[in-house]
Amino acid sequence: MRSRRLTGVAALAVAALTLAGCGLGSSDDTSSGSKPTVDANAQVTGEVSFQTWALKPKFTTYVEGVIKAFEAKYPGTKVTWLDQPGDGYDKKVLSQASAGQLPDVVNLPPDFALPLAKQSMLLDVGAADPKIAEEYVEGGVQAYQYQGQTGTFGYPWYLNTDIDYWNATKFAAVGLDAKNPPKTFDELLAAAKVMHDKSGGKEYMMSRLPGIGDLTNAGVKVLSDDGKTFTFNTPEAEALLDKYAAAYKAGYLPRDILTQQYLGNSKLFTQNKVAWTTGGGNALGDFVKDNPSLKGKVVPSPALDTPPLYVQGLSVSAKTKNQAAAIALARFVTNAENQAAFAKIVNIFPSTKASATDPYFSKSDGTPESDAKVLAFESLAKAKVLQPPVISGATNDFINQQISLAISGKVTSKQALDAAVAKANQLLAS
Amino acid sequence: MTVVTDPARPVAVPEASGTAPPRRKRGTFGFNSLSPTEKVVRYLLLVFVLLITIGPFLWQLSTSLKGSGEDIYTRIPRLLPSQPTLSHYGEVADTIPVWDYMRNSLQVAVLVVGGNIIGSSLAGFALSRLEFRFRRIVLGLFLATLVLPGEVTIISQYVTVRELGLANTLFGVALPGMIGALNVLLMYNAFRSLPVEVDQAAVVDGANVWQRFIHIGLPSVRGTLSVVAIFAFIGAWDDFLWPLIVLTDPDKYTLTVGLQYLSGTFSNDPRLIAAGTMIAFIPIVIVFATLQRFFFKGVEEGAVKG
Repeated sequence: MRSRRLTGVAALAVAALTLAGCGLGSSDDTSSGSKPTVDANAQVTGEVSFQTWALKPKFTTYVEGVIKAFEAKYPGTKVTWLDQPGDGYDKKVLSQASAGQLPDVVNLPPDFALPLAKQSMLLDVGAADPKIAEEYVEGGVQAYQYQGQTGTFGYPWYLNTDIDYWNATKFAAVGLDAKNPPKTFDELLAAAKVMHDKSGGKEYMMSRLPGIGDLTNAGVKVLSDDGKTFTFNTPEAEALLDKYAAAYKAGYLPRDILTQQYLGNSKLFTQNKVAWTTGGGNALGDFVKDNPSLKGKVVPSPALDTPPLYVQGLSVSAKTKNQAAAIALARFVTNAENQAAFAKIVNIFPSTKASATDPYFSKSDGTPESDAKVLAFESLAKAKVLQPPVISGATNDFINQQISLAISGKVTSKQALDAAVAKANQLLAS
Repeated sequence: MTVVTDPARPVAVPEASGTAPPRRKRGTFGFNSLSPTEKVVRYLLLVFVLLITIGPFLWQLSTSLKGSGEDIYTRIPRLLPSQPTLSHYGEVADTIPVWDYMRNSLQVAVLVVGGNIIGSSLAGFALSRLEFRFRRIVLGLFLATLVLPGEVTIISQYVTVRELGLANTLFGVALPGMIGALNVLLMYNAFRSLPVEVDQAAVVDGANVWQRFIHIGLPSVRGTLSVVAIFAFIGAWDDFLWPLIVLTDPDKYTLTVGLQYLSGTFSNDPRLIAAGTMIAFIPIVIVFATLQRFFFKGVEEGAVKG
């Protein structure tokens, strides 16, 4: 979800990190900086800085509470908390890294952490703290292990996934049952046809173009095992794009989806233009807040096929002066107790195995919001990271443009996929 | 283009009330008289351009006034709120220290506007009026920097500002914008449009360079100066990425960066964000309103002579 904000990060990453390498900043020798020098049992004391992403001011009380608890547990520590605004976070982090000023503990999603990990700017917390694999869910830990890099470069923090939301009024208008919505892509196509035919072409079901996640879901192998080449120009991928192109030609998709804006599908859904969107477990609240007339009309259901897994995590800077305290803080913020408390304020899900049995997540209190939360929590067990983190913002943009061209019928699916793979490989190698 | 307006020719026949307007033959209209159809077409085009330029702004304004119980996104955008409220504006001030951010933004804007007015007019005067070696090359260099997009240089700029010890200061935010290459070129053009003879007459009268700059140059380019001031102000006020990168201390955030706190990670209220945007917009209106008298003069200035 948030990671789609990454536009243009690749070019900047290269520029920033090359600069950092030149020693323009007061950077120390970065070779083998990613290996920890202290173990998890070292004395925890002293000052440590902690950077979060867009948690102020809504979660100020929560974060300050956690910090206070940390300082109380480890006397002699002092945490400086920085919160960065939502927009431009990727560029902010890169400029911090290139100036050698990365905070000790940084909130980084896996795709933001990758360019830093490649430059040995993040600590391999897996080596410092072997218990990571035991205490955190597998998908979360794997998100911070990259093909071609050895180590785990972050503690998984909170998780989210997408579930489906359906507009019950629109379903009823064309005689479909929102209680029994489509479960696979093919059922969705069939329902889109009904929606189109029965409403005289005025109503739409589908609201977005396929992305890399959909290709993964269709059984396409996106990346080779060594992580060096993209392999998604297969006949299966072609077949999927052909289906979308046919649906677009038949008028099952609204015309304005070709631009593929971030969160475009949920906007169309809120505008009452389409009957389907995907969104996190907390999206229902947003729909109703934006358009109160949607209240009671939205029905959630599990995502089609395999749900996507979105991971946030806390990484430790390789250049931190206080490794022991930084590791302790990252571990403390992401422990089961603190994550559960966080998840109770907002619909996110803990990445700790111990939280799986918490009845708060598995029992609904009957409200649609609560239903959505339980659905999302159940989906998490099956959820997988569908888009490899090596796909940078620029690569993703290019792939999406090619897909747009194919769907609108300007090029064939094969041409689009071949062009996308060629460009993506080139960007990956650079 | 010399025959466009001839004041001697009767421009339009005032319509006498009660009598039918004299019938005019088709196809004999001059530049200043319009057939009714053409008039309609022109107005339609004007209204169309008006809608696409101020439409998004009006939508934002109406969103900020919409009550929590009403839909924001509708198929056909609705501009008149059905439950109008000003509460979101109060809420913005409660959520973030909007006045502090505004003061920071103002400090940056004042530095940038001051820097541009002084620096660009000095540089523009030197390039257009003084003879020195490499003048053409210097002018070419100014032009060349216009080609570079800001994003390319932003990281190296940050590293430079940090080495100067100005990271996390408002002065560091303002510094790179304090002389804009485009503004130098605008001033260069404005000074050039002043006849050289005037300058030469001043030289004969014994005026030195500074006297010519202050008493002859500056008074004749006030219009362009106000253009530079307005553009520099808007540029400094609206910049987001650069202050975000330079500043780390939330107390020093400028308004654009601070407004980001309105849109949180997990949920945000578009009404609140719209209200914040409207608040940020007010100072630009004030600056433009005070300088607009000169502004339009300045826009014409560069084009008339040359």
